[in-house]
Amino acid sequence: MIAPRPLSLLAELTYRCNLQCPYCYNPLDLGAYRDELGVETWERVLEEAAALGVLQAHFSGGEPTLRADDVCRLARKARLLGLYTNLITQGTFLTDGLIAQLEDAGLDHVQLSLQAARGHGADAIAGATVHEKKVNALQRVARSGMAVTLNCVLHRANIDQVDEIVAIAEAAGVRRVELANVQFYGWAFRNRSALMPTREQVTRASEQVAAAQRRLEGKIEIGHVLADYYERYPKPCMDGWARKFMTVAPDGRVFPCPAAAAITTLKFENVRDRSLSDIWNSSDSFTAYRGTDWMAEPCRSCDRRETDWGGCRCQAFLLTGDASRTDPACSLSPDHGLVDAALSADGASAPWTPRRMRSAG
Amino acid sequence: MTPEGGAPPRFARGVRFRRMDDGSGVLLVPEGVVNLTESACAIAELIDGVRGADAIASALAASFDAPREQIAADVSELLDAFAKKTWLDRPEPAAT
Repeated sequence: MIAPRPLSLLAELTYRCNLQCPYCYNPLDLGAYRDELGVETWERVLEEAAALGVLQAHFSGGEPTLRADDVCRLARKARLLGLYTNLITQGTFLTDGLIAQLEDAGLDHVQLSLQAARGHGADAIAGATVHEKKVNALQRVARSGMAVTLNCVLHRANIDQVDEIVAIAEAAGVRRVELANVQFYGWAFRNRSALMPTREQVTRASEQVAAAQRRLEGKIEIGHVLADYYERYPKPCMDGWARKFMTVAPDGRVFPCPAAAAITTLKFENVRDRSLSDIWNSSDSFTAYRGTDWMAEPCRSCDRRETDWGGCRCQAFLLTGDASRTDPACSLSPDHGLVDAALSADGASAPWTPRRMRSAG
Repeated sequence: MTPEGGAPPRFARGVRFRRMDDGSGVLLVPEGVVNLTESACAIAELIDGVRGADAIASALAASFDAPREQIAADVSELLDAFAKKTWLDRPEPAAT
């Protein structure tokens, strides 16, 4: 099939990070990504992405501001290429000086994450004493006039704090909040039983989010990423494999989804060896699950096949070992019992493994 | 909530209208890319922080063959939809 036009590039500049969030979707073998692309190569990647039709560049990691000079240089480059630029950061390195430099570079938007609403709990999740500093960074970015989204990943330990998280955004003058139920990839998959919220928690949080959305309409836009294990149908992950999105990892490998490195049955190409356009249009990994031809039943004959695109390939692989199966999060999947089993496992007392660069594996 | 009498709308920081090579138009927003219909594009293109909703409707009425009241209603509806998404900077509507 003819490749569609990509809309968005996720540029993961580094997997280094000073925090240890147990829900990180980065891969477990972080140490394998230490050979990071240089800034000149990243500039070429941005040029090739813009030529392919990409409209938005998201700079992420790891913590991208550990490469602060490069982030500013690449944001400027992306803006010159006409791209919309977004920085995804946990904010612990956002000095006033860096905020001013990012603004000067033409950065369009900052997405800043908090781990929870309350300091002690948030720091326990981050594995570092950073909450107050991060709230302060949020306030300073908002005050600078730059567009900012407050993001919080919701899971068992913080999902009861929805109202308090929204209150932090209101107080800071933030225009957008993203409350994202944890998705189980990378470290989050490894820590799934410890992070899994209960059905009661998810239901209550959804009601609180809906109430906040109504109350703040026109003032704060509140995005809500659902807990797919509890849903009837799977998420339309990436809006379909290799349809709109691509991720370039710190080592230069290119993925249709930021979690796709986990699919060990695919070989992913590297921008050091091939052009982005080649990889997007014709690499085996990008064409493998593009469109609907690859689908088996029940997806193949399903009315929703071009609504949710079979769900998530990475999740299918993580749960069944076969990336071409229907996402087990779908209630129609023959493997849906795997999801039910995960939900009925008691994780209340399970410890989590903090994200670490050097992992015992 | 109607824009009449309000200050001229402009896009909030972090929101940009962009014309594509093929003539279509999109809004670039933090959460992604929003495809606009042709009529929405025509309106979005005139959101400049200078024109009020009335001026936008007048400008469109001059170039499109449609009743001005219909155009004004479309402009008002689109501005309201954008405002609900927090994509516009616009003063608080006066309490009624």
